[in-house]
Amino acid sequence: MSNVWLPCGLYHQKYSEDHGWWQTPVIKGKMILLLALVFIIFPLTLTGYWFGVANMIGYTAMGALGVQILIGYAGLVTLGHAAFIAVGAYTSTLLILQFPWPQILVDWGLAYPISIIIAGILAGLWSVLFGLPSAKVKGFYLILTTMAAQFITVDFLITQYVSQIGGRGQAFSLPPGTIKIGPWVIDSELKTYFLMAVLLTLSVMIFANLLRSKVGRAWIAIRDNDIAAETMGINIIWYKLLNFFVAGFIAGLAGAFWVSNTAALSPEHFPWFWSLWLVGVILIGGVGSIHGVIFGSVFMVLIMEFIQYGVMLLGDVYPDLMIKFLYIKESVFGLAICVFLIFQPRGLSYRWWQIKNYFNLWPFSY
Amino acid sequence: MELFVMSLINGIMVGGVYALVALGWVLIYKCSGVLNLAMGELTLIGAYVTLTFYQIGVPFVLAIIITLFIGIILGILVERIFLDRLIGEPILAVLMVTVGLSFFFKGIIEFIWEAKTRAFTPPVFSLEPIEIGFIKISSVYLWSFILAIVLFLLFSAFFKYSHWGLAMQATADDETAALSVGVSARFVYAAAWAIAFMSAGVGGALLGNINGVNISTGYLGLLVLPAVVLGGLNSIPGAVLGGITIGVLQNLSGTYLDQYFPGGVKEVFPFAFMVVFMLFKPYGFWGWERIERM
Repeated sequence: MSNVWLPCGLYHQKYSEDHGWWQTPVIKGKMILLLALVFIIFPLTLTGYWFGVANMIGYTAMGALGVQILIGYAGLVTLGHAAFIAVGAYTSTLLILQFPWPQILVDWGLAYPISIIIAGILAGLWSVLFGLPSAKVKGFYLILTTMAAQFITVDFLITQYVSQIGGRGQAFSLPPGTIKIGPWVIDSELKTYFLMAVLLTLSVMIFANLLRSKVGRAWIAIRDNDIAAETMGINIIWYKLLNFFVAGFIAGLAGAFWVSNTAALSPEHFPWFWSLWLVGVILIGGVGSIHGVIFGSVFMVLIMEFIQYGVMLLGDVYPDLMIKFLYIKESVFGLAICVFLIFQPRGLSYRWWQIKNYFNLWPFSY
Repeated sequence: MELFVMSLINGIMVGGVYALVALGWVLIYKCSGVLNLAMGELTLIGAYVTLTFYQIGVPFVLAIIITLFIGIILGILVERIFLDRLIGEPILAVLMVTVGLSFFFKGIIEFIWEAKTRAFTPPVFSLEPIEIGFIKISSVYLWSFILAIVLFLLFSAFFKYSHWGLAMQATADDETAALSVGVSARFVYAAAWAIAFMSAGVGGALLGNINGVNISTGYLGLLVLPAVVLGGLNSIPGAVLGGITIGVLQNLSGTYLDQYFPGGVKEVFPFAFMVVFMLFKPYGFWGWERIERM
């Protein structure tokens, strides 16, 4: 049941090879190169500004991974994922700021790591709460409940109540030195970058492994035809809620990571726009593909950086453009989604698959 | 008691305007099977266009009629440029195109009209409330309600008795089958979008009269969603009833719950109600319950 297209002349001879992570030497080399790139070459070559961009890409990718689990692998359309990211971020921040940690945990620098896990679990549970109607409905009706999650969580609960805790007003800010893992104080963009890289790699690995298991196959069965899945004995309510939990968990991780990057938090960081943005990212990257998440987030973040650069160049001539940059960004994002869906409906990952296949099948064309 | 009746009546009146916006939603769903998430922006466009014409001196009724015409043109343009190529594609793709369109429109609206609040000056409707006994109704609400009811009757007659209306329902039910019996899906989509632009535009103009026009008028367009769910996504009477119910709920929660939960309980309560409602009656009161078989 290998799901990799093997090149001509390469055959598996054992089960363990068939189930392997990296099935051909080329894939192994490619992945080691990728890890080396992410963990060694980028940190050595990038400069401050580009670390910011890389962190943004990582944050987008983690959020989009949750959306991908829901939309791409279980067919549960969600338009409120920013709410769960917000729950994660606020849980983590409030735990660090307000929870009476035993001094020994603070000294060992365990407060932040523990808060990341709790943030993930809480965001997951919160996500399950809004996933409950998915037992009965699908499609548009589900979209509405996830939208409701966004408005209830961010626009009401967090803005009105949660962000008032501790009497700090609307915005939380974390004093420097509070975010640390062990003795390692996260205070520079390089360190945030490493945290992002580790968290992203871990969540992609966990998710990819989950897909190879019974759980992932059940999700895909539900996506393709939920009634058929139910007749085959899959408990679809359980698996749908599990899906919501995992998606919420990853969203919580993303939120808790984002705290380390900004060291400040306000409800405006999690608008409805962000939920839609994440769905746009997976559509541009490709629905139902892990590659798609990464491609989509890299593409979208870089495109926005380029637009910003272009606007800054034009800004000397037309100063108005600088003020209206946000509006241009919004329009371009909308247009990009439309154009991609019309001309490249299967996303960037399909293009990547075609390129890979060309090499796998070479010298034949099919 | 007086307070209760007042907020009830006001809720019904605002509900009329919500029903008008919900109508646009239901129309597109009924015709093309797509939930149009750009609806909030359509109401914004309608509001701003009417406002612009009104402020250069065009009478309000004429401005509304011009908005209707611009709505038709924009609707057909949008359909021809974007949605025409998506006939037969999966629903998620079409849905996300409407999301893309909503950002596109929003960016353009902000670019042209900026993000300031603008009011209709001089006010179109008299500020003097109409009094019946102890009940006071502002005339904006009353006129909006009457207009919404008139449009509702027109649209439901259109769907029930006209050839095109039936063709639209057929397309929504099964696009491929409708195509095979000679219904032009392109025409149906174009008509649906044109009508949605029209009804949302009028709704936007009326909402703009109540609160002034700014970007959050588009959010009011989204607030209508619970109304649509309540009635079922594809029922025109459902849209009206849902709109009125949401209007009433909003006003009552604003009156009675605001003291316990200060802040935006008014905006969120319909959504919270919707989530709970869907647990018990998932397809609304008159929605199509799809019976699926293997």
